[in-house]
Amino acid sequence: MSEFPVGAACRVDAAVDAPSVTLAEIPVGLDPEGVAVDPRRRRAYVACSRADYVAVVDLETNTVLAQITVGGEPIDLAYDAATDRIFTADAHADSVSVVDAETLELVATVPVGMYPSGLTADHESRRIYCGNSLGSTMSVIDLDTLETIATVEAEVGAGAIAFDRTRDLVVCVNFIAASATFVDTKTWQPVGRVDVGSGACAVGVVPERGDCFIVNSLAGTLSRVSLDDFTVREELTVGRAPVGLTVAPAHDRVYVSNRGAGTLSVVGVADGAHWAQLPVGEGPGGVVVDATDGRVYVANAGTGTLSILEDRLAGPPATAAVEERHPLIGQRLPEFSLVDFRTGERRSSAEWAERKYIVNFFASW
Amino acid sequence: MILVDIWEGTDPHPEVERFCEMWGIEGTILLDPDASYAQALGIRGVPTNVLVDSDGTIVDVGLVRIDELERAVSRLLQE
Repeated sequence: MSEFPVGAACRVDAAVDAPSVTLAEIPVGLDPEGVAVDPRRRRAYVACSRADYVAVVDLETNTVLAQITVGGEPIDLAYDAATDRIFTADAHADSVSVVDAETLELVATVPVGMYPSGLTADHESRRIYCGNSLGSTMSVIDLDTLETIATVEAEVGAGAIAFDRTRDLVVCVNFIAASATFVDTKTWQPVGRVDVGSGACAVGVVPERGDCFIVNSLAGTLSRVSLDDFTVREELTVGRAPVGLTVAPAHDRVYVSNRGAGTLSVVGVADGAHWAQLPVGEGPGGVVVDATDGRVYVANAGTGTLSILEDRLAGPPATAAVEERHPLIGQRLPEFSLVDFRTGERRSSAEWAERKYIVNFFASW
Repeated sequence: MILVDIWEGTDPHPEVERFCEMWGIEGTILLDPDASYAQALGIRGVPTNVLVDSDGTIVDVGLVRIDELERAVSRLLQE
């Protein structure tokens, strides 16, 4: 568990030299994944994928105001201020749900491809992109009319998406294919691809540098890919099992949530260095930054919470982040007595006495 | 290897069933529905591997990447 109590409006004062301060960790629901901020209303919207709803979080009181039922297994989420709508990619419903943020009612459902899992809005171009993992496609939807403009071939596991308006490019990362597809937004045709690490599942771009950052969850790396020639420039270090990514508004750093480590990595855009690993909730995934105040929002699938952080790093630290040695290494494994999923019988650690073995902790989400 | 399922939030059975079918997972799976055992070990994320020596000592924690897990297992078997 976190080192402070989980609950509404909890605030913890960090040590003076701490790289971050956790402002709150708010219970939101089962398996929160996608998150977006509505600065005008001081709200966060969180897609709780196992609860099939969007949690509406009041950022003044740090409490959940409402739960809006959407399609099955909403994984990713976006908010469009111009239409005042919330969008969710509903993996089990093969659709995108559209919610009015004023009335908090579901107002439309847009059919997309199989198992949509990534959603990104381009507010200026008035489009929303949806990656359809099992359909191996990307849907392009008009943000205003909700009409599907195009369905573009990607690769299996198509999910997270980012765009570079200066190059008329959209980047769609493909989890299962371990690749990224680059699409021309004038023709809606793929114009390139690149192999990246296994389990590619999040992406962000820094157009002025020609950089695209892709998180590879199974490979445990962050790829810096060229937006000009679609080649991998370098592989960067982050924490264990990275799954989420967002680019800071100043474009000087990217934030990467590490589902395996329960941390948020801060990686420098210019130097590619791993600046810090910040503590968040357990099993973190979706991450966004509120451009108005720089606060970082992280959805924690393990704890079912939303962490709100203040990043205090002014720039690269004197020493790069180092993975700390786990305190139980060298200690005896605590005894366990747990129910066997297949037989229903209790099994204890005594059964494995005098054997060398691995205990693998996992979750199905 | 012992697999321990945590943090499902709901009845873990259908979720674990679906997960095992999807990824072809066989072998021992134990349920830690309230993650109390994981908490006792200070597990903060998934997946996390814990390597245990024959005397019950924890020799490594983490090890998500295949290459690092293989190296750690080789070391453990050679000891």
